[in-house]
Amino acid sequence: MLEAIGVSGVRDLFADIPAEFHLQQGSLNLPDGMSEAAIVRKFTQAAEKNRHAANTACFLGGGTYHHFVPAVVDYVISRGEFLTAYTPYQPEISQGTLQALFEFQTMIARLTGMDVANASMYEAATATAEAALMARRVTRKNRVVMAGSVNPRYRSVTSNYLSRLKGDYVEIAMDGFATDVDALIAAIDDNTACVVVQYPDFYGSVYDLSVLRAACDANKCLMVVAFSDISAFALIESPGAMGADIAVGSGQSLGIPMGYGGPHLGLFACKQKYVRQMPGRVCGMTQDADGKRGFVLTLSTREQHIRREKATSNICSNQGLMCTAAATYLTLMGDDGMATVARHSAAALQSLLAALPDHVSAAAGAHYNETVLSFADTTARDRFLAAAAADGIFAGIPLERIDHAAQPGHLLVATTEMVEQDDIQRYLAALEVSK
Amino acid sequence: MTIPADLKYTKEHEWVRIDGDTATFGISDHAQEALGDIVFVELPEVGRSIDAGEAYAVVESVKAVSDVYAPVGGEVIEVNEALEGEPELVNTDPYGAGWIAKVSIGDGQVELLNDDEYTTFLEE
Amino acid sequence: MTQSASNTNQYSATAGIQHEEALLFEHAHEAPSSINLPGVEGDIPAALTAFARQQPAGIPGLSEPEAVRHFVRLSQWNHGIETGFYPLGSCTMKYNPRVNEQVVRLPGLAHIHPDQPDETVQGVLQLLYELQQWLCEISGFSHITLQPAAGAHGELTGLMMIRAALDARGQQHRKKVLVPDSAHGTNPASAALCGMYTVELKSGADGRIDLDELKAHLDNDTAALMMTNPNTAGAFESDVAEICRLVHEAGGFVYGDGANLNALVGVARPGDMGIDCLHINVHKTFSTPHGGGGPGGGPVAVNESLAPHLPVPRIEKQGDGYALLHQSDASIGSVLGSIGQTGVLLRAAAYIAAFGNNHLHKIAEDAVLNANYVLSRLKNAYDVPFDGLCKHECLLTDAIQEKHGVKTLDIAKQLIDLGFHPMTVYFPLIVHGAMLIEPTETESRQTLDAFCDAMLEIAAQCEAGDTDQLHSAPVKPFRRRLDETQAARKPVLVWPSA
Repeated sequence: MLEAIGVSGVRDLFADIPAEFHLQQGSLNLPDGMSEAAIVRKFTQAAEKNRHAANTACFLGGGTYHHFVPAVVDYVISRGEFLTAYTPYQPEISQGTLQALFEFQTMIARLTGMDVANASMYEAATATAEAALMARRVTRKNRVVMAGSVNPRYRSVTSNYLSRLKGDYVEIAMDGFATDVDALIAAIDDNTACVVVQYPDFYGSVYDLSVLRAACDANKCLMVVAFSDISAFALIESPGAMGADIAVGSGQSLGIPMGYGGPHLGLFACKQKYVRQMPGRVCGMTQDADGKRGFVLTLSTREQHIRREKATSNICSNQGLMCTAAATYLTLMGDDGMATVARHSAAALQSLLAALPDHVSAAAGAHYNETVLSFADTTARDRFLAAAAADGIFAGIPLERIDHAAQPGHLLVATTEMVEQDDIQRYLAALEVSK
Repeated sequence: MTIPADLKYTKEHEWVRIDGDTATFGISDHAQEALGDIVFVELPEVGRSIDAGEAYAVVESVKAVSDVYAPVGGEVIEVNEALEGEPELVNTDPYGAGWIAKVSIGDGQVELLNDDEYTTFLEE
Repeated sequence: MTQSASNTNQYSATAGIQHEEALLFEHAHEAPSSINLPGVEGDIPAALTAFARQQPAGIPGLSEPEAVRHFVRLSQWNHGIETGFYPLGSCTMKYNPRVNEQVVRLPGLAHIHPDQPDETVQGVLQLLYELQQWLCEISGFSHITLQPAAGAHGELTGLMMIRAALDARGQQHRKKVLVPDSAHGTNPASAALCGMYTVELKSGADGRIDLDELKAHLDNDTAALMMTNPNTAGAFESDVAEICRLVHEAGGFVYGDGANLNALVGVARPGDMGIDCLHINVHKTFSTPHGGGGPGGGPVAVNESLAPHLPVPRIEKQGDGYALLHQSDASIGSVLGSIGQTGVLLRAAAYIAAFGNNHLHKIAEDAVLNANYVLSRLKNAYDVPFDGLCKHECLLTDAIQEKHGVKTLDIAKQLIDLGFHPMTVYFPLIVHGAMLIEPTETESRQTLDAFCDAMLEIAAQCEAGDTDQLHSAPVKPFRRRLDETQAARKPVLVWPSA
């Protein structure tokens, strides 16, 4: 090969790199290469140092949920044809990815009650930021009103994304662990592009959005509805039914393991009339030269590779494989399976709350599968967390871990269909130490 | 390629038909051909006042986007809503059914070419 | 032309048995979910009844065997790196080792919640911390964040840090970002998202950054230059040290787009060349599978000047253990709702572990060797816009074939019929009819020869005027050329509800 190229050695191919920058071969401070067996051993040893939800009762939520992942999901996304393909820019040999994306978009639109969905964002926090940016483009106004009951991580990323652009970003603080719709309405002004709420909110509270919808209409601003656990919408009304213009959130609940933070799946759905302002890739139906149905990536002129600095977003790589995972999961579940997941997730929380001892209180109002438990103080809460951990229970997330401004002594608790009645009994037993 | 004699042209390949106080805007046959199949036209809002040379509309093909600039200044009084459902009119009839907007003529204009001058400009 | 490419090339995603497969929504029977779900039985809680969903969403649901068959059939319509050669320039489609898939599925890595207490996740923190050190060492920087979810996200993160550093110097006015006209579209898009504006630098006659053009645009408003090195024409910016010196002298920062790091791994380090900040596409250079569009990972490595501004949370070593630092004063804050795409990052760690100090340089060497070999075989039949050796990818154009009415798109589609994934087409934008070929280091000479034979066969067909077939290609795959105009004019993005 070197002869064909016309050089005498491989290093001649790097002659255009100034000599001062050439590394001496093998001079990096890295271990030497490992065999496959050694890699498996290294990772297995590291994995064994972690505790994990596969053998622990998990009551952790806050945007990431331990739902059941059917074996088929991992099988499908492990197939090389899905796993090792690039973005489907050559549609003739990417119809598998594309049809799966089209099915994914359809099912996400139906579940969220929206007209259309894109082919994913990175995850929920960046999806929320992108929704705020899109609302600014649609309305040509630049003030964003954010409910203080939105997941603090979604808030912080959104505020971060907006902070270098012209315009205002206002967070409306909430009293207690619920969403005060009246306070949000009071914050809307003529220059407001959107109001961002979470439903169910960060504290798991479920509430009515119809009054906010009417206020948004009156002020010509958009209602952006974020969500953390999309399984909720198999049980309660969807963001679309509540009047959302844009619905964004996490699809991690749809067959994607928690994986210590990723890769997860950002969902983005909106009304049809706003589709040309939507960020990210989107798959559309069309025909081939023989008139057969097929699919392509479409509306590409919104995207960075064509519109560059005027693009609707800078996103390029997204979470394509996780869309295939979610499509597979939803196909295995169907409406019935999703309803069961949601019912069991909610029932587990109800069962826990119904038997809660007097010295622990739960947030008031309607909740799906997540709520806040309040203890006498942080010490009492942490005693409980330690006792629960010793009994194989991840009992909740100290609220201040996610919400740095939280008052002491609170615990964010979530349930899924993976929580069994026995887990709840042991949870209740462990609560005794927090008296 | 056609270049009607009764229109004026810009170096950005727009055309304008001036009829009393009203001007009608579109893009030239050359422009539509260069862009290829038009898939979307973003129309301005009626009532918007635009300066000569300002981008007032956007035409999109599958893989390209182009701003459309106003040959003369004025206020938008009508837009071609037919393009919302049939953007291909810009391809099939750029000087007729593919018009983009009408303005009541205000101040200012960019350098306008007659048909001969535009033909020469295209040849250069 | 010695051999017909179609004879030498037996593998193809496009010629096996392929089944038509309906959309899920057309499977016309009601199959109850066959998944036996665990959990606590119960009705909808009373407090939620007022909010109960009135109509089911309309998720069809198939039995497990039907669902498997549905998605397996769909998969067979795809071409992946495991199916065949995938020389997509600027995308680094190298083979993805299967052991990486195996290790990230260990329960102790797959099923950890991101908000478990730090003491329960020491194993994963150790792996991520090591990866940070390895990536810093490979790229030549002192600090790194693993948080960005993809390359473009890394660009935004890097520019945010540059913004913070400029603001800390009281230079809020510096908002101009210089971007070569050969750059990826994400560069200007990221700058705009960061509240900056871009000025395009016209490439020199050799496709590289023109120093005079650069000097003419550097001034007191300059925030940064974004450079890709090797650039998107596959050429190394040999003036990199001088470029960085000029930008620094003008008070700006140099952002490195690391999309093409595969050409340098183990051979040279961007951090040594004066670049301040570099994102690393782990789904390119470090072989994490691209998944049909993602997920990716875009860690951003920085030197001391930007280190205080790194995002949170950060992984810190504390004694013998590791902890997450959630808040830090000068930090730009968070750019993602989690620590990063952990599963992607761990695959990259496994990949680096396999090569290590003694073998890492072979990645770049073989990638560059393969690209130059392809260039050497094709340079007489195709137009080469910029002379000289290339790095990990080579750039051709359709100038010769266009005389016969054959364009880059036709060449790309004909390659599909010959069993190959096409190269990147019409990028970079600085040449007309671009074809950017990146073979990567994981391809054998036989594969490269088969691909080059196919390219030469197409060139010969053009010379012979035998071009009809090229315009109608592809004919072998499951679908032929698709009508993108119709898709964009009347977008159908979801299947209509019944």
